[in-house]
Amino acid sequence: MVVPVDLSNAPSDAELHRRLVYGDESALAEAYGAYGGLVRRVALRVTRSPGAAEEVAQEVFAQLWARPYAFDTGRGTLRTWLSMLAHRRAVDWVRSEERHRKAAHADEDALYAIPAPGPAPDEVVVDMERAFLLHSALAELPLPQRQAVHLAYFAGRTYREVATELGIPEGTAKTRLRTALRRLAELLAEPPDASASESVERGA
Amino acid sequence: MSVDHEGVRDLIAAWALGATLPAEEPRLLSHLAECERCAGEAEQMREAVRLLDGDPRAAGAGPEEGAAGPEEGAAGPEEGIADPAEGAHSMPTDPAPATPGPTTRILTAALRARPAAPRVAPYAAPYAAAVAGLQALLRELGESGPWSTPVVHDWDIHATVAHLVAADEPLALHLGLPPCEPRSAVPGGVAWRDAWAARTAEVIAREHRRTPEDTVATWQERTARLLAAPEARDPELAAPAATLLGIRMPVAEHYLVRAFEAWVHTDDIGRALGRAVPPPPDPQLWQLVTLAVRILDLALGTTAPPVLLTVSGAGGETEWVLGSEADPVAAELVLDPVDFCLLIGGRYAPADVPRGLAGDPDAGRGVLERAASLAWL
Repeated sequence: MVVPVDLSNAPSDAELHRRLVYGDESALAEAYGAYGGLVRRVALRVTRSPGAAEEVAQEVFAQLWARPYAFDTGRGTLRTWLSMLAHRRAVDWVRSEERHRKAAHADEDALYAIPAPGPAPDEVVVDMERAFLLHSALAELPLPQRQAVHLAYFAGRTYREVATELGIPEGTAKTRLRTALRRLAELLAEPPDASASESVERGA
Repeated sequence: MSVDHEGVRDLIAAWALGATLPAEEPRLLSHLAECERCAGEAEQMREAVRLLDGDPRAAGAGPEEGAAGPEEGAAGPEEGIADPAEGAHSMPTDPAPATPGPTTRILTAALRARPAAPRVAPYAAPYAAAVAGLQALLRELGESGPWSTPVVHDWDIHATVAHLVAADEPLALHLGLPPCEPRSAVPGGVAWRDAWAARTAEVIAREHRRTPEDTVATWQERTARLLAAPEARDPELAAPAATLLGIRMPVAEHYLVRAFEAWVHTDDIGRALGRAVPPPPDPQLWQLVTLAVRILDLALGTTAPPVLLTVSGAGGETEWVLGSEADPVAAELVLDPVDFCLLIGGRYAPADVPRGLAGDPDAGRGVLERAASLAWL
C-alpha cells in the first residue's frame, strides 16, 4: 500500500501534535526548527540573558514533548502557545533570579548582562525594572489579547496576519492589540518609583 | 472627532508594535502630527514597546519587529553557530533556524523527560507508538486525577489500564516473558473468550487494590518488555503463526493487534475525559486499517456477497473486495480510515458509522454489521 506523506514546508499543528503524542522524536526536532527561534527570542527579550533563553527554550520544548496533551489544537496555534509558554517561563525565571539575588544579599551583582556602552546605570536599572513590570503584566493579560500581542510583537505579524491566524475580524485584532497595549501604557503612566518598587515587591 | 480620527486611533497600538500595513503609515503619521491626543497615546505605547524590547539604547528607534520577518528574522545568539558535525541532521523542511547544536541539546533534555517510542520493526512500530500515546494521555491524569471515570464496559480508567496488562499477557507468554500478577486461576479447557474474560477480571481485581500509578508502572514495564523482545525487531522471528485470543496469525500481526487495542482504549479514555485523542500517524494508522480489513475478511469468509470496500481519507485510499471471489461485486462501501478502525473495534453501531454505500444495501449492511460485531478486543 502506498501512503503519501505530506512533506510541505510548514508542518501543520495537528500533524505535528499527532506525531508528538505518539512519541515521534523527529516531530520535536521539526517543532524546534519551526519555532525554536521565536521561543528563544521571546525568552531573550524578557531575561536578557542568552544562557537563560536557552534554559527557557529547553524547558518549553521539554514540556511540549513530555506533555503533548497540554497543547490543545482546538484552542489556538502551536506558534502562539509556545510563544506564550516561553514568555511565562521567562518571567518566572527573572522572578526566581530576583529571589535568589535577594536571598544571597548579593545586590552588588548585576542581575542582567548589560551591554556597554549604555545609559547611566541608574537609568538602566529603572528601565529594566519597568520592562519587567510590563512583561509581568503582559503575562497576565487575558488570553485573546495575549495571543494577539504575541503574534504581532514577538512573531512579527501584521494585524491582518494576526486576524487570519486567530480566525477573527481585522477590527477585532486591532482592538485586542489596542486594549493590551493601553493596559501596559497605563502601568507606565503610574509614578515610575511606585511601579518599580511594586515590581520588586511582586518579585519577592 | 473626525472619521479619520476613529479609523486611525485603532491603528496606533498596531503601529507601536510594528504590525501595521506599510500603506497605512502615511495616513497614520499625518494624523499623529495633527492630533495631540493620539500623539500622546502613541508616545506612551511606543515607550511601552521600547521597554518590552529590553534594549535601553533603543529609545526613539522604530519598533524593531516591523522590519524583521517572522521567527526566522531574529534568533538567539547561538543560533548562528553551526556545528558541521551535526549538519547532516538538520531538518530538510526548515533550514534557516534549525542549526542542530541547540536542537540536539533540546532533544537530549526533552528525551530525559519522556523517552521516544522505541525503534522497532515496522510491524511493531504501531504498538510502540500506541504505547507512547497512551502514556502521554495518562500523564495528564497525574496521581490524583479522575482515575475512576467510567470508560467502557464497567471499567474505569484504572481498570482499562489493568485490562491492557491482561490483554498483553497472551503475546508476552508466547514470547517467553513472565505472566502478570496474580497467577491465573482460570482452569484449562475453557473457551478462549470465557478464559480471557475471567483473566481480565482477575487482573483488574488485583490492580484495583493497587494505586493507578502502580498499575501504570506495571503496564509500562510489560509493554517495554514486549517491545524489547527480539521478535519486535527481527521479522524472521516474528513470522511464525500463533493462535492468541482466538486468532491465528503471525506474531508480527499480533503486535499490530496489540497496537489496535491499545489505541482503541486510549481513544476510549480520551472520550471519557473529554480530550480528543488524535489517530496514530498515517503510516501506522494504515497498518491498523490493513489489519482490520484482514480480520473482517476472515470473519466474513468466502461465501458472503462480495462487497468492494474503499477506505479513503487521511493518508490515502485503498480498495479491497471482501467476501466471495466467484460472484460480481454486489455493493460498494466507502469508509474513513479512523471510522473504519473504530467500527472494527466495536466503537460504532453499524447504523451510525459515516459511510458511502452504493449497490445492494443488504450486502453493504451485512458487512457493517459483521464488522461491528467482531468483539475481538
